[in-house]
Amino acid sequence: MKKIIALLLTCVMVLGLFAGCGGGKTQETKAPKNQPAAGAASEAPAEAAPDTIVIMAPPVTGSYLENLKVWAADFHELYPNLTVQVIETSWGDHNDKLSTTAQAGEAPDIAEISSNALGTYVEMGVAIDIAQYMDADRLADYDANALKYLSLEGTTYGLPLYLTIQSIGANKTMMQELGIDVAKIQKEGWTYEEFLDVIKTGTKDGCYGFVFANSGVTASDMLYMFGAGAGLSNAFTPDLKYTFTSENMLTLLSAIEEMTKSGYMPNYGVEAGQRMVMCQTGNAMIFGKAMPLFEANFKKNNAALEAGDGTAVENSLPMDYAFLPVPTMLDCQESCYGTVDGLIALRNKNTTDEHLKNVLLFMDYICSGERIATCMNELYLDPVCQSGRDALVLEEGRDADNLATAARCIAMVQAPPEGVTAEMTSTAKKLMDEQIVPKFQLLLAGETTAQEVYDHICEAAYAAFGEENCVSGKLG
Amino acid sequence: MATTGLYSQHLHNKKVLYLRNTVIAIILIVLAAATLFPICYMILSGFGPNVSTAGNMRTILPSRLTLESFDAFFHFSDYSLRWILNSFVVAAGAVIGNVIFASMAGYAFAKIRFKGSSFLFALILVAMMIPYQVTQVPLYILMVQKFSMTNTYAAMILPGLCTAYNIFLCKQFFSGLPTPLIESAKIEGCNQFQIFVKIILPLAKTVLAVMAINTFMSSWNDFFWPFLVTNDPSMYTIQVGLKQFKFANETLFAPMMAGATISALPMFIMFFALQKYFMEGVTIGAVKG
Amino acid sequence: MNATKPKRQQVPHKLRFTNEDLWGYIFIAAAMIIFCVFTLYPVFSAVYTSFFNYKPFGSEFVGLKNYVETLKYSKFNLFYKAALNTLIYTAVVVPLSLLMSFCIAVMILPFKKKTQSVFKAMYYLPGIASGVALSVVWLWLYDSSPDGIFNRLLGVFGIPAQNWLSSTKTSMLSLIIMALLSSHGVRIITYIAALLGIDNSYFEAAELDGATFFQKVRFIVWPLVKPTTLFLLVTGVIGSFQVFMNAYMMTGGGPDNSTTMIGLLIYNNAFVYGKYGLACAQAILLAIAIAIMSLFQFRLMGVDVEY
Repeated sequence: MKKIIALLLTCVMVLGLFAGCGGGKTQETKAPKNQPAAGAASEAPAEAAPDTIVIMAPPVTGSYLENLKVWAADFHELYPNLTVQVIETSWGDHNDKLSTTAQAGEAPDIAEISSNALGTYVEMGVAIDIAQYMDADRLADYDANALKYLSLEGTTYGLPLYLTIQSIGANKTMMQELGIDVAKIQKEGWTYEEFLDVIKTGTKDGCYGFVFANSGVTASDMLYMFGAGAGLSNAFTPDLKYTFTSENMLTLLSAIEEMTKSGYMPNYGVEAGQRMVMCQTGNAMIFGKAMPLFEANFKKNNAALEAGDGTAVENSLPMDYAFLPVPTMLDCQESCYGTVDGLIALRNKNTTDEHLKNVLLFMDYICSGERIATCMNELYLDPVCQSGRDALVLEEGRDADNLATAARCIAMVQAPPEGVTAEMTSTAKKLMDEQIVPKFQLLLAGETTAQEVYDHICEAAYAAFGEENCVSGKLG
Repeated sequence: MATTGLYSQHLHNKKVLYLRNTVIAIILIVLAAATLFPICYMILSGFGPNVSTAGNMRTILPSRLTLESFDAFFHFSDYSLRWILNSFVVAAGAVIGNVIFASMAGYAFAKIRFKGSSFLFALILVAMMIPYQVTQVPLYILMVQKFSMTNTYAAMILPGLCTAYNIFLCKQFFSGLPTPLIESAKIEGCNQFQIFVKIILPLAKTVLAVMAINTFMSSWNDFFWPFLVTNDPSMYTIQVGLKQFKFANETLFAPMMAGATISALPMFIMFFALQKYFMEGVTIGAVKG
Repeated sequence: MNATKPKRQQVPHKLRFTNEDLWGYIFIAAAMIIFCVFTLYPVFSAVYTSFFNYKPFGSEFVGLKNYVETLKYSKFNLFYKAALNTLIYTAVVVPLSLLMSFCIAVMILPFKKKTQSVFKAMYYLPGIASGVALSVVWLWLYDSSPDGIFNRLLGVFGIPAQNWLSSTKTSMLSLIIMALLSSHGVRIITYIAALLGIDNSYFEAAELDGATFFQKVRFIVWPLVKPTTLFLLVTGVIGSFQVFMNAYMMTGGGPDNSTTMIGLLIYNNAFVYGKYGLACAQAILLAIAIAIMSLFQFRLMGVDVEY
């Protein structure tokens, strides 16, 4: 008896403390859906009511966060009633912080995300349809193709910062010495067979023709990139069927299997940090994944080698960089893998209609014009809005061939089809991360065959989407 | 006495003693070398040239020794030094809180027979078993929404002020102390508080030092929570600050390592300041007899 | 000082509290307040959330759905695979690292004060290396190219180069080796503290009986540091069941999910897929598993079983 009373007392004590401290556990899940109500209530104050806009961003480029603060100040001068607060995050931890704050209902008004994370925030119910809060002609400034990446089921949730293409890069100097017509590849693209020939030529003692950073989660890069060359640019067809079960997938997997067994590329896992270094030290001719931006790294390294100040990559050689398109698989159309990084508007407890208009005003401000042009110059990419292109003054000394190749590749990128739901993207994402990439890693390690991986993918996809919603046979 | 009676076997035979200690020392050094590897790499990279990206360093010894990376670290932000100070404040707060509160609670759970103690202790243990990934969301709501503590030392210190881990550690240590010691003090008319201060604490120097060092270390190395509750660069801790050296396509590797090296210094000092407390055992037996 | 004592006793007596009870509550009060606010409240909140399809604005109650989804067996449900991986990892890493720490702590003791402190520092120091430096170094050690440090080491013994983190044959082993060779500082220091608390009279008595070194370790040291071992074992298992960072940084769970741990699964569900309710349910299931394991350990160690 005594024991029970004591137990009860301690329970009461614990609960008492509990209630005393936190109190509002109910609030956390039933936070007011104040958007319509509060929106109507706050109609009264004049347009110039003071407001604070919170933006959370990682260092997209080396100077992005510095620039952002300058732009915030400029914006404040334009609209003295609006103040911008910048939350700086670190690269690699941005998503963790954003996710946690969003789950807590304390998301920033604006956040940087990669287009393939959009579904998560839409499903969470915190992403905001931006079209209703900004002028239609301002929205029209942005390329429809890029906007599609930040849209689901016809609703647009954010504005694009840039469309980045992921492909392969090469030691141009070495390729030219070997008599390979780099310019032709850059201008016209190449087939998978031609690619195999080239990397065979490039393979010598101590040097691989091709290296791809494929260890751990980076394995998915290889799948996406070469997938674009095999007609698998998107997870869904325009009539919303899952594509990774098509014969194209088998073609892709067989090609990958062939490459790993060829001896023209390492048959072991390569770390992300290694790929460019291997190229720069002459241990590999072509490397992936690569972006147009890497031209800057090669230039910097050449300069460091010339200066001899010890900051160059150890044992590296002077060389020129060529940005190359991905090879095209049999009977497929040439394509390139691209993703969009953009800014999305998020819901938090301050969210009202009036507030959202202000938020979009600022979002549009930093995604367009000179602001985005500055940013794109650092990333060696083209702006994806007209005002950005108009404002762009190209930096001196850019390699014309690389520039043209990048432009050609960007034009080939196929945006995701319309009508895909948030649920579909999140199922596809989970399928990719938990089933496809793991088996793909196994293939890269030489521990399974293309056919086995393909069969597993089909089985898993049928279980997730239903066989009738998956493509069988070749993609049209 | 530095050595315990455990090793009294060969005390009379100098040669055997020497041989034995040499063998043990070699084993210890080999094992230590394996675990010391990362930190050597960290320090040496810090003294290397100001290179970016990590893939560069394929050898332990940098191509040349220079202080330019340290220079780069201090010039990276106006707050580079402030970050170290912030870390120090946070870690010191956690240490003080744990030494006082966890030792008191640990003593109560070990030696005071009060109603509900087993239940409460079990509760503390069970709470440890929920992974932090899911508890940080409600904790964040609490600190940010309810307490409005963003960008404060309090937000960084409070959640770690008295950890279940340390209560458990203290409880285990105190339960090893002889109960007759406490009983006799009680008979002499001491109340529990007096017993704790006059008898237990002097005996607990060892465990308190261990706790202080471990708490300091884990608080100093904590990254995610301070990252979550600070938005203002002047309130970053050093671990949050160091992450700022990483960008999308490059990492300012050497300055980052230089910063990590500098940030390791306080832990070094902390260790040597406290280690005298566990150099010699506390002889409980003497009182017990 | 005793004058006030009888008076005080009267009040609690009515509440059927003894003086001892009162002192207990006073001693734990501060700790319990901190614990309830910053640990228990979030824990209860997570338990509560596990019954919801959580959304920051408007969760819906789904009952046991998250639990059912987690436990429903299918070839493609990673939970069981992750549970097995976690169990294997724990079963190898925790006992071995405990044993290593215990041996190292015992081995440090015979030296002079100065030497001891050098050794202690050597074992404590790795803990202060920044996480970034650690992951860079380990990725570099496990470099699968023939130039990788471990591969070169194997080459010395004529063993062919391994595809460390990228092969299912070696990925888990790699994580285990990493855990075993990483810092033991905390455990060693805790053990040393416990070892130094052993009174010499025990050893003197044993010596009179002619006990050997190993007998002394077996019959005096081991039983006397049992509370410490229990502490390190329980906290070690808790930590190991929740292990997340190693897999996250080194392999991301691959290849073929051979290093996917429950901690990683929970993290992904909560912060990558936005299924926080599901993550909470998985965390609760994990906690139940840990609780059962801990109870088993308390029984096994045979000390301190008061709960």
